[in-house]
Amino acid sequence: VKGGGKASPGSPSHAPPSMVNNEQRQHAEHIFLSFRKSKSPFAVCKHILETSKVDYVLFQAATAIMEAVVREWILLEKSSIESLRTFLLTYVLQRPNLQKYVREQILLAVAVIVKRGSLDKSIDCKSIFHEVSQLISSGNPTVQTLACSILTALLSEFSSSSKTSNIGLSMEFHGNCKRIFQEDDLRQIFLLTVEVLQEFSRRENLNAQMSSVFQRYLALANQVLTMFESSQNVMLKPTESWRETLLDSRVMELFFTVHRKIREDTDMAQDSLQCLAQLASLHGPIFPDEGSQVDYLAHFIEGLLNTINGIEIEDSEAVGISSIISNLITVFPRNILTAIPNELFSSFVNCLTHLTCSFGRSAALEEVLDKDDMVYMEAYDKLLESWLTLVQDDKHFHKGFFTQHAVQVFNSYIQCHLAAPDGTRNLTANGVASREEEEISELQEDDREQFSDQLASVGMLGRIAADHCIPLLTSLLEDRVTRLHGQLQRHQQQLLASPGSSSIDNKVLDDLYEDIHWLILVTGYLLANDTQGETPLIPPEIMEYSIKHSADVDINTTLQILGSPGEKASSIPGYNRTDSVIRLLSAILRVSEVESRAIRANLTHLLSPQMGKDIVWFLKRWAKTYLLVDEKLYDQISLPFNTAFGADTEGSQWIVGYLLEKVISNLAVWSSEQDLANDTVQLLVTLVERRERLANLVIQCENWWNLAKQFARRSPPLHFLSSSVQRTLMKALVLGGFAHMDTDTKQQYWTEVLQPLQQRFLNVINQENFQQICQEEEVKQEITATLEALCGIAEATQIDNVAILFNFLMDFLTNCIGLMEVYKNTPETVNLIIEVFVEVAHKQICYLGESKAMNLYEACLTLLQVYSKNNLGRQRTDVTAEEDQYQDLLLIMELLTNLLSKEFIDFSDTDEVFRGHEPGQETNRSVSAADVVLYGVNLVLPLMSQDLLKFPSLCNQYYKLITFICEIFPEKIPQLPEDLFKSLMYSLELGMTSMSSEVCQLCLEALTPLAEQCAKAQETDSSLFLATRHFLKMVFDMLVLQKHNTEMTTAEGEAFYTLVCLHQAEYSELVETLLSSQQDPVIYQRLADAFNKLTASSTPPTLDRKQKMAFLKSLEEFMANVGGLLCVK
Amino acid sequence: MADEVDFTSGDAGASTTYPMQCSALRKKGFVVLKGRPCKIVDMSTSKTGKHGHAKVHLFGIDIFTGKKYEDICPSTHNMDVPNIKRNDYQLICIQDVYLSLLTESGEVREDLKVPEGDLGKEIEGKYNAGEDVQVSVMCAMSEEYAVAIKPCK
Repeated sequence: VKGGGKASPGSPSHAPPSMVNNEQRQHAEHIFLSFRKSKSPFAVCKHILETSKVDYVLFQAATAIMEAVVREWILLEKSSIESLRTFLLTYVLQRPNLQKYVREQILLAVAVIVKRGSLDKSIDCKSIFHEVSQLISSGNPTVQTLACSILTALLSEFSSSSKTSNIGLSMEFHGNCKRIFQEDDLRQIFLLTVEVLQEFSRRENLNAQMSSVFQRYLALANQVLTMFESSQNVMLKPTESWRETLLDSRVMELFFTVHRKIREDTDMAQDSLQCLAQLASLHGPIFPDEGSQVDYLAHFIEGLLNTINGIEIEDSEAVGISSIISNLITVFPRNILTAIPNELFSSFVNCLTHLTCSFGRSAALEEVLDKDDMVYMEAYDKLLESWLTLVQDDKHFHKGFFTQHAVQVFNSYIQCHLAAPDGTRNLTANGVASREEEEISELQEDDREQFSDQLASVGMLGRIAADHCIPLLTSLLEDRVTRLHGQLQRHQQQLLASPGSSSIDNKVLDDLYEDIHWLILVTGYLLANDTQGETPLIPPEIMEYSIKHSADVDINTTLQILGSPGEKASSIPGYNRTDSVIRLLSAILRVSEVESRAIRANLTHLLSPQMGKDIVWFLKRWAKTYLLVDEKLYDQISLPFNTAFGADTEGSQWIVGYLLEKVISNLAVWSSEQDLANDTVQLLVTLVERRERLANLVIQCENWWNLAKQFARRSPPLHFLSSSVQRTLMKALVLGGFAHMDTDTKQQYWTEVLQPLQQRFLNVINQENFQQICQEEEVKQEITATLEALCGIAEATQIDNVAILFNFLMDFLTNCIGLMEVYKNTPETVNLIIEVFVEVAHKQICYLGESKAMNLYEACLTLLQVYSKNNLGRQRTDVTAEEDQYQDLLLIMELLTNLLSKEFIDFSDTDEVFRGHEPGQETNRSVSAADVVLYGVNLVLPLMSQDLLKFPSLCNQYYKLITFICEIFPEKIPQLPEDLFKSLMYSLELGMTSMSSEVCQLCLEALTPLAEQCAKAQETDSSLFLATRHFLKMVFDMLVLQKHNTEMTTAEGEAFYTLVCLHQAEYSELVETLLSSQQDPVIYQRLADAFNKLTASSTPPTLDRKQKMAFLKSLEEFMANVGGLLCVK
Repeated sequence: MADEVDFTSGDAGASTTYPMQCSALRKKGFVVLKGRPCKIVDMSTSKTGKHGHAKVHLFGIDIFTGKKYEDICPSTHNMDVPNIKRNDYQLICIQDVYLSLLTESGEVREDLKVPEGDLGKEIEGKYNAGEDVQVSVMCAMSEEYAVAIKPCK
């Protein structure tokens, strides 16, 4: 230890780097580390603290004390712990000039002692508060600062978040400590803090030193108020015992006063606003009744309005203020909100409106300036979200209450997103336009996702003020369509006049595209909701709006507007007597039509793929909600909607035809724009996946058949599409084939779509010289295209088509195995073949009955056999060898996992879905997924090297698979061939010792079922029995001898208990050996007691759930008492 | 393009590369970068300005040398894709630094060198030990090397 002190001149913090070499530094560090682990270092540490002048050494001594107290807690007398705590506190008090980091570390040690003591109820917290309050009343800023540090240290230690020191106790312990602490001690701290703040807020001129004390206490107040966090959100939900403290209106007023005083200080304002935001979220049992809640809210809103009305808000205040408002609106129920005085509520909503618009404008400026820290954007997001919360449940407000506010917020949103002169987009504060063409990567989210929350709120507000917003969007869009059309025509004339000239300025076009982009996004969010899975409904506000005006609407003109996207809306007579919602849709169809015409005029290079994306995105969203409206889903339905998009109407037929045409044109023209092609093909899927209605209309279109035939021919332009788009297209075409059609049509459809695929494939592989020509490029392309298409077909699987698709795909799978042989030296083809199997298993296995599943298992097995045969012993040196093998094995693991999933997700009803497709045949084979998977693992295992396990995804997939196997089929493990069994056990051991903690956890989870299996089989000489004995020792060592990771306790505990049950004698032996190696009689006794207590509730241990739970509970206490004790040097 | 592809015609004098639209290239596939046959290890797109057209960034490694190459081009452009052929031959003997290989059709090739590095040593070792070995040969853009071996059953 003296050495530790002497090493100080060479310690990391003191000697200049040039004077110490790396080795010396490591040596010094090592000395400190081992010093901290030494046994009962208290006397030595005290001595060091009292004599050493080296800060770093003092720091280490404090750390050593803290760690040793926790480690040796059960060995120490309570009185010596008490005196240790007093010593540390006095030490700090007597040395005001200690380095900050040393002081904080000593205070942390005090806090840890207090906390660990609360488990024993042996340390009394109260005396600390008494001491602290005396320090505060001293009036001496230095002493007050110290008092604040003590409180902060306690708070951090008890807050049970990441700030808590790792003292080897369960999260439950930390949670309990926190709960008890919140009841009483925390309130003490808060009251002390409030006193200090009150004192300071009364003073006129604060000098720098006092100001800094003020700041510290404000931060402390913030820390207290945020300590009530529940799992996700930080909200203030204290217990009843806080009632007097927090409902005292002087507390709330104090924080408003404090904020007004310091609002220009950026750092302090953060804390004061955060405190106010917490107070704005006050809820729970603290309110005795609704009346008190109303009073509190009214009072708070008054304070808020007084604080922000009439001031110019600082940049640093924006986020804080919007959090306050957002908390008020989220936390206080509507009936409380409406119970406050009317005028006050109106002022509040006016203020919200004003702030929203103003923050929106500032956010737009931030975007122009490309600021890193977008505070206004964050504030704007919060306020828009608050609007959504506020208006969503509007039955508490009278109708139309929010309309004017909605109009204002909506207008300002539109204005910020449109170019001058209508809007202010890209204008700096002084009105100068800025325009930069930046490079945008594919990783950048599309605006429709990045701003989806904003758009959802603005869309909602637009619905509330539909009378204003729908016509506004329509006229803005119609205006842009006309201008876009004109601009493109001018470009075309210019091109015709001087071909090849590239002097055209695209600024006007880009501005139009950006305007249209935002208008389409807002329209999309206004007219329809995002939905996942469920059938999206037309928003009630939109339905009402259309119905309300339908008396003034001329249906025929409306249909005419809809059906003539090539003409200007205003050129149609009577255009003002049309349904506004349909006219808004037709405005977007007009945009789409301008795009299509530009393509026909060879102006594609001038078009914006982004706009193209927006159009198909909108059409998909719209079609899902409006096309073929289902009357059964609505109380009342708008006549114009029903006439234009209802089932069996000319309107819907026309629209479907139009959409199909758009899809076909896009796939041909935009194959080079992956995202656009993808959105387009998703639109197509939407049209055919609702097959009871919409798909029937689709397949009546000539174009649909053309598309199918064109794709089947694999001719340009469709084969330029990326492989993922081609797969989805295949999926759509297959889905369409399940629409209702008469038998002849169906036959014809299959002849056109699926049979060519089969025929072409068979033609290729059945050629006599296939072996010789298989490496020719055309042949390889043909094969690749077929395999891709198979993946697409598998993707189209649904419960009612699986029978047909499975039979169709099975024929291919058999042939694919032959291909594996032919292309054994062509890794990319091999990889794709495995992928086909993965996809088929993934999509279909859960629907397959026994005999079909058998077919698939067998096919997969054969695939793996061929793969294994071709790769065992093969040595590759080409540069991509490792990567290729990694890709293959990853897919194989995925395949095996998919097959295994049959055991827990199974929708099949003994070949129910296949009934009628084949004569019932009895199967007397009974091969389970486990057999196949284990066989697969057997084949793959020899190919898995430790190098390959270094790929994290492969490693995780592998361990997930073997844990699955152990959990689902423990009875199969003892029957494995010896080699496989050994590798499996070795894998588990490896996973527990040298992989990530995630993998370790998986392995521990695998042990329990294995041990249970042994207990059931009662064979004491099986190799599994012997293996589990080895694992008992491993888990025992992990728990007792290694530094412990508390997150793992449950998995370890379960495995440990089951293993102990199985090997009771060996367990006793392990305990005996451990005990007998202890020389210190005190430690021996404590350890022996701890072990006795551990098994007391479960003697003799049996595999009984109750006993197991009791054991797990004792284990936690055991770990708290002896965990780490034996790690001591 | 014809509806049916004629697979029977030979490839004598066939081009060593063929063009493909950039957007149809695929990761794990092949492309010619800076005149070298490469395997595509990464592909990403970007655009200039929100309303710009897509450009494709290609990252590849030379299938023979392992050298890395990258390129960027508009996604509508055509790129050359190398025809890659792989053949497995039976090793008959090693003469000087050349391999004698037996083709499927019973002919003997003697134009391929023993590869450098570990694989070459492995081949020589196996040959000297009298083991039967199958050699995989990869050919692209008029270059051809032995890249893998597998013991014969």
